[in-house]
Amino acid sequence: MRGLKDKRVLITGGASGIGATTAVRFLEEGAQVAVLDRDDAARNRIERDLPALRGTIGADVSEAESVARAFEELDRLLGGLDVLINNAGISIRKPFMEITPQQWREVIDVNLNGMFFVAQQAARRMLAGEGGVILNMGSTNGLMGYHYYADYNTSKAGVVELTRSMALELAPTVRVNAICPGCILTPMQEAEYTPEMLRAFERKVPLGRLGRPEEVAALFAFLASDDAAFITGHYFVIDGGEITGGLASQP
Amino acid sequence: MGDLTGKSALITGGASGIGRATALLFAREGAAVSVADLDEPGGRAVVREIAAGGGRAIFVRCDVSLATDCQRAVQQTVDKLGGLDILFNNAGIIRRATVIETTEAEWDQVMAVNVKSIFLLSKYAIPVMARAGGGVIINTASGWGLVGGRNAVSYCASKGAVVNMTRAMALDHGEQNIRVNCICPGDTDTPMLRNEAQQIGESDEQFLAQAAQRPLQRIGRPEDIARAALYLASDASSFITGTALVVDGGGLAG
Repeated sequence: MRGLKDKRVLITGGASGIGATTAVRFLEEGAQVAVLDRDDAARNRIERDLPALRGTIGADVSEAESVARAFEELDRLLGGLDVLINNAGISIRKPFMEITPQQWREVIDVNLNGMFFVAQQAARRMLAGEGGVILNMGSTNGLMGYHYYADYNTSKAGVVELTRSMALELAPTVRVNAICPGCILTPMQEAEYTPEMLRAFERKVPLGRLGRPEEVAALFAFLASDDAAFITGHYFVIDGGEITGGLASQP
Repeated sequence: MGDLTGKSALITGGASGIGRATALLFAREGAAVSVADLDEPGGRAVVREIAAGGGRAIFVRCDVSLATDCQRAVQQTVDKLGGLDILFNNAGIIRRATVIETTEAEWDQVMAVNVKSIFLLSKYAIPVMARAGGGVIINTASGWGLVGGRNAVSYCASKGAVVNMTRAMALDHGEQNIRVNCICPGDTDTPMLRNEAQQIGESDEQFLAQAAQRPLQRIGRPEDIARAALYLASDASSFITGTALVVDGGGLAG
């Protein structure tokens, strides 16, 4: 991808899963990458695994003060920011009737409020500097109804609209897009689903398989690069065709 | 090594605008390119430009609204380039008129060039791709395939059809490892856009200035769309099918 070399990149939730794979991809592109994560054990692990990282920052995106402190640390680490991969997120599989108020708040706090706190800090730096790119992690769950994830789905639908609104207000200095993955085989997914459930997912996908974290990282790289210089305010689905026919909403 | 090294691509409307920019880019990325167009001098000029840059290309004269021409375009591509991995259904026309003003002949022509052509070329290309173990089809739709536009009813209808036939084809041919996506450009500085300005009686300057009124404050360039096509054509997008990639400087964001 063009134009990623030496770019200063922050990846939230970057110590594991799709975030960590994305860190690898941007390092391969020659970018300067920092990772923010609240999981200290995972941060220690990725620091060992990816010595080329410019650093990791321990912070909880759902707390505005924690995010503000993290960005002060980021300023010291990278001296500014060109690309934000706003990726941190959680999901809890539960029927709607069993979601507790506390769980609801936790999911919205991390996936939606956290995305806002981080995006605002990042945009402040980009607007003051030479612009940049913000990529928000959405989900096909934010575009369709899905069983057992009412809180998560709602947060991801919010991410899509947050993306459009930010794109309008921050243009032309900052480009803002969201990506909406379908079923991607990450450690989070493998822990959550039985092998039978994974087979069932594969059958629903026109390409006949789950996605790989590397494929999501490649979409982030494309949208962050100069190849996507005219792309802003949209969400990009990467799901092997799963929601193309509207058949995604099976229990 | 380019992203498309070893691939063969057929690009309709390849003589000008988005098709030309994509043909040049795909060739730079290592693809052998079949430039299909009605405009023979224009198409041959693109082929020469590719050859001058060390790339490989052929010209195929093709009226995309005719089954015989589409079949021949696919066949010549396979015969001369050794296969067909990427089909970029990009040829298109616009008629700026309402339902009242559009003639039946104009309606049929717009639907034939913008929609039927995708049906025909895909019909002949998909079996070739399936035998080779997969392929990629990219269709040029439009922002006006997603929202309505004024005084362009045949074009809007045709581009809406392109978006949804993209989805239907993605479902039908996923099993054959054929990915089908479309690109929805906003106003892009091409000969078609300038022809559009003429149709509605505006100067190029007026039309281009209006078209630049969007969040990123500029009009699209053919290269912007070519880059998106490259992404969809390459293995970088290997899990993406059935989608509409909007490249419009944020025109439809708000």
